[in-house]
Amino acid sequence: MVTPEGLGESAEVSQSGGVKLLEPLNLGMLQAPNRIIFGPHETNLGSGRSLSDAHVAYYQRRAAGGAGIIVTEEASVHQSDWPYERSPLALQCADGWESIASACSAEGSLVLAAIGHAGGQGTSHWSQRELWAPSRVPEVNSREIPKWMEPEDIAQVIDGFAAAALLAVQSGCDGVEINAGQYSLVRQFLSGLTNQRSDQWGGDRRLFLTQVLTAVRSAIGPEKLLAVRLSCDELAPWAGITPEQAPELAAEIAHEPQEGPIDLLTVVRGSIYSVSATRPGGHTPPGFNLELSRAVREQVRLATSNRVAVAVQGSIVDVAQAEWALTDGIADAVEMTRAQISDAQLVSKLRSGTAARIRPCTLSNQKSQVRDNRNPIVTALGDPLSGYETKDAPPETAAAHRVELTVVGGGPGGLEAARVAAIRGHQVRLFEASDSFGGMVRVAAKGPGWDRLALLVDWLEAECRIEGVELINNHRVTPGELNGHVIVAVGGREGLRAYEQQPGSVVRTAAEALDDPESLPQGAVLIWDPIGGPIGVALAELLAERGVEVHIATQDNIVGNELARSGDLAPANARLLQAGVHLHPRMLLRSVSAEGATLEDRFSAQRQQLPVAVVIDAGHRLPNDALGLELADVARVQASSVGDCVAPRTIYEAILEGRRAAIALG
Amino acid sequence: MSEQIIWTPLQLGPVTVRNRIVFSAHLTNYAQDGLPTEQHAAYYAERAKGGAGLIITEEHSTHRTDWPYEKLIHGFNREVIPGYRRITDAVHQHRVPIFAQINHNGGQASSMYSRLPVWAPSAVADPLFREVPKAVDAAEIAEIVASYALVAGHCVEGGFDGVELQCSHSSIVRGFLSPATNLRTDDYGGSLANRARILIEIVAAVRAEIGSDLALGVRLCGDELIEGGTTIDEAVLVAKMVEATGHVDYINTSIGVATSSLFMIEASMHIPPGYAMFIPAAMREAVDLPVVGVGRFKDPLQAERALSEGLCDLVGVVRGQIADPDFVRKAKAGFTDDTRLCLSCNQECVGRMGLNRWLGCIENPRTGQESLGVGLAQTVSISRKVLVVGAGPAGMQAAIAAARNGHRVTVCEQESVAGGQVRLAASVPNRAEFGDLVRNQLHECGRLGVEFEYGVTVTAEEVSRRGVDTVIIATGARPSTPYWMPEDLAGGSGWIVDVRDVLSGRVHPEGNVVVIDEIGFHHATSVAELLADRGCDVEIITPGMVVGQDLGITLDMENWWIRAGFKGIVQTTNSGVMGIEGHTVQLQHHPTGTQISREPDWLVLALPADPVDELYFELKGLGVDVYRAGDAVAPRRAHSAVIEGERVGAAVASADRVLADR
Repeated sequence: MVTPEGLGESAEVSQSGGVKLLEPLNLGMLQAPNRIIFGPHETNLGSGRSLSDAHVAYYQRRAAGGAGIIVTEEASVHQSDWPYERSPLALQCADGWESIASACSAEGSLVLAAIGHAGGQGTSHWSQRELWAPSRVPEVNSREIPKWMEPEDIAQVIDGFAAAALLAVQSGCDGVEINAGQYSLVRQFLSGLTNQRSDQWGGDRRLFLTQVLTAVRSAIGPEKLLAVRLSCDELAPWAGITPEQAPELAAEIAHEPQEGPIDLLTVVRGSIYSVSATRPGGHTPPGFNLELSRAVREQVRLATSNRVAVAVQGSIVDVAQAEWALTDGIADAVEMTRAQISDAQLVSKLRSGTAARIRPCTLSNQKSQVRDNRNPIVTALGDPLSGYETKDAPPETAAAHRVELTVVGGGPGGLEAARVAAIRGHQVRLFEASDSFGGMVRVAAKGPGWDRLALLVDWLEAECRIEGVELINNHRVTPGELNGHVIVAVGGREGLRAYEQQPGSVVRTAAEALDDPESLPQGAVLIWDPIGGPIGVALAELLAERGVEVHIATQDNIVGNELARSGDLAPANARLLQAGVHLHPRMLLRSVSAEGATLEDRFSAQRQQLPVAVVIDAGHRLPNDALGLELADVARVQASSVGDCVAPRTIYEAILEGRRAAIALG
Repeated sequence: MSEQIIWTPLQLGPVTVRNRIVFSAHLTNYAQDGLPTEQHAAYYAERAKGGAGLIITEEHSTHRTDWPYEKLIHGFNREVIPGYRRITDAVHQHRVPIFAQINHNGGQASSMYSRLPVWAPSAVADPLFREVPKAVDAAEIAEIVASYALVAGHCVEGGFDGVELQCSHSSIVRGFLSPATNLRTDDYGGSLANRARILIEIVAAVRAEIGSDLALGVRLCGDELIEGGTTIDEAVLVAKMVEATGHVDYINTSIGVATSSLFMIEASMHIPPGYAMFIPAAMREAVDLPVVGVGRFKDPLQAERALSEGLCDLVGVVRGQIADPDFVRKAKAGFTDDTRLCLSCNQECVGRMGLNRWLGCIENPRTGQESLGVGLAQTVSISRKVLVVGAGPAGMQAAIAAARNGHRVTVCEQESVAGGQVRLAASVPNRAEFGDLVRNQLHECGRLGVEFEYGVTVTAEEVSRRGVDTVIIATGARPSTPYWMPEDLAGGSGWIVDVRDVLSGRVHPEGNVVVIDEIGFHHATSVAELLADRGCDVEIITPGMVVGQDLGITLDMENWWIRAGFKGIVQTTNSGVMGIEGHTVQLQHHPTGTQISREPDWLVLALPADPVDELYFELKGLGVDVYRAGDAVAPRRAHSAVIEGERVGAAVASADRVLADR
């Protein structure tokens, strides 16, 4: 964390006045109303390879919330590039760009169209043709060998950049952003990792970007904005772009185009070997590019007489940190993309002095990381309306008639139900059996890297209080106390165990172990993780940090298998191995005794005894459905159940269902 | 073969099928926004035209709580009916009956698309989706039953000749039937009669909806291959209960659970054909209804044998007809040699389904693109003299596509046989069926009059001497030399060799062998098995998180692990070669930076290869009309070679030149 002492609290910024983030930013001949950018990202909102009405609504909502600059989802500049099924193709984006530009300009935002080519980091599965790249270096995950681009291929792509840029500005965009960051052919040309050519394109690795910029500037003219997103640290010092080289590289790029300099340079990081480092989850401290940006900005300003603005990206989710980045000369603008997926009104809340009420981003990547074969729609754990702007009812509207609502259970589902019901004008009281609000989220947040989950339930609790919900803790409700409208959100309970437990065996649930690791018996532990998810892995990390000998077993080939969805699979395995955790993939837990655990290899059926003091079960839980079932037959009560007490799932489903139940009250 | 059972008509309730080959239900991912598409119609019509006895479509979902994968047809939405009509009209043009499979996947799903709780008999999380479902209550069970009837009604309106209930490998009905997923204590759990109750209710509701003019079938799982799951004895009892309803016209069968033992449902070439026939055989003994058998039937002789042995009344042939839509027509006409045999490689059909991609075929570029007109003969103005250099999969497919358009094609191959790397890949005993690709392409080339010259090394002078109009370079790839290779060992001259050197028999490693897997497919695992079979001690080391990472996509991972265990093959992950010192291989375990070393007798490399592209660039420089395809462009897998060969071959002298020229 680079944020200095004393600036950790968002509220302080909004109260101090003179917020630099809210100052206009001059870019070329245009001006952004403020310095907060909604950066380019995959959404899967497209219709085929076109931008859709869902895109328009998604960006419009952020523009209405005050975003200074909106950079739309990257469009491929050439048909040789089809990196994911719904990746936009520039040739098909004219209508979408026009609608987005028109909707967002009306709210005062500048709109830049991200354009690019994924090169060797694409896939041939949709295009059914070869990948193009500077050299035949396969991407580590796909391992697909690209074609070494012939000179006419290079010319076609440069022409494609110019044509795409022209189309974007003709469609009303204020400019374009060229991707030379993650998943980009441009970076592949810039980097010694991926450009091993012996011709002019390898002799001068900047040549390709220079020609792209020249062609694009020539196409869009001097009045439109030209931005570049540049990887300034490939985290591969043996041949990649390094933080030491990046400032000079950026400065040269910034003043190079013959037709006029670029207007904005955004500092990012990552290469083919570090895809997950570009937009990492909560295990990486926010603001990891700040010092990189400071160095880049210094050189760029020097080289361009302060004409070119520098923006910084990198898990910046806290406005205090963002503000500090500006006041400390690190950047001229800040990308807060995930923060605005979580809260579309981030800027307007900052502007109105209510920054403390910004819904925090958890950096979980569970719903916003959508470069995934299943084509999930981009959304947010805390705001299920994100990405579903054209499908879901907005929660913050007044109800037709006022009712009295009792919410039972103060986890995320119950808190969201209470919050939304109160906003809609209902009279709400919420009962929680324990002494604190937040339910299982508080427990999950104890895992290393997951601490930001607690911010979300802190926020829900605070919002409930602000909206006038009566929050009552330490009160276990009985059916007899209830009448009228009731939302049941009492969570889950311990799950089924498919293994034998012999006398003297010690088995704990993951929740128990996370909540109070001190209570575990001394000695080695085995975590049984049939989910392959964040909880079992986080628990292993937590216990290993505490010096415990940790074993983790799963039926999968890879521990933490499901973390692939959020991009944390390889990083998590590296962390576990570095912490000395013993991994037992392809295993079934057969029995637990006083002596330890018996694991069976799924394929050889060979059994092994692990002498551990305790087994921790990180498996599926069961719904705590007793109250819901009881109330179903009580005539005086109109009850609905939400979240884990329906079926134990994630925070997202709890919040979605809590919100829906509140809206359904009328 | 006209005397055989396979060509005998059979009555399925009100529907007559004219032969015993069924194109049974399978996912295609052709749907868009929950609706069937033109591609569905073109795909099924092509197989109807090819003579299939009966077509059963992919599943149509009965309820909004059921949305396990993105491109599922939402049968519960009335808007599907025009699409149904398009499919049934297209198929009926060829006088082939078509049934609709209807289904609710139950707990074998996630809420990601539906944003609704997943419904199942009990709160038992599925092993693949790993989401705890909501245990349905009595009202919800009634809603499920009614939803089947609703969708059956849509199928009637859509012009289908019958309806099949998928109660087998991914279904809420299976969930109820199976003791592993049904823990209920009410009327729908416990005894088999209780567990089968929802099935019997659905059968009655659907029959009431469709009346007597449509056929009704039930597909049952004969063995779930999971702990505590349904096995054959109980499955036979269920088949008898189904028959006893009097509402059902046939029984279809399957094996395995889609979300835990899929590798036994869509078995690859490593599982023997006919492996699941104990299921229809047992059911056929117990019921009088016609029974369908399935399980890697690759040719009509296998099918006929199963029929004549009384194992089943109909045979499901899916992948065989994906590879060759004219499978039935060719068999009936006695031209079995012309059949493009399925390889059971699972690379572009099954392998694309789990990745949310449209269904294709490694050797049939037209599959999945029927509605776009791919793979048909085009009219070209002039017949060109075409020289193809290289008789691997790219070169032969280019020859096929060019010859189909009337060009005169000669293929020159440096070696004495055709097939290139495919031939080597298929030389490993349990990968032999992959070699059918070579057989199929050679046969098609022969049929189209393509000429082959073997043992010919083509040079620019040779091209000029031959006076050809167009040259297609399909010269493949050669092993690469990694940066860490000592100079004196480059080119496979010592104890460090390529996979190909072993498979071709150029070298015969003995003793301790380390195989380096940087490709993540069959290369390393195949050579490891071969050497282990020959008595070597084999270890595979990969920088990846698992050896053979992509074996999971083709459903080969489970059996690989079983075989590797038996053969004592050691697998080491997360480790890459850093250098060679003497006879020591230095490696780094990259997550921890730990140095490890090995001193094997032989080091066998499965590394990304280098294209053989010198002739292409030379000819291009000379201004010759030259194309290239396959590994000569960039070394990849056989499918890339086939589709590129198809594209450049079809582009010769056509207006599509620009698209193909790269």
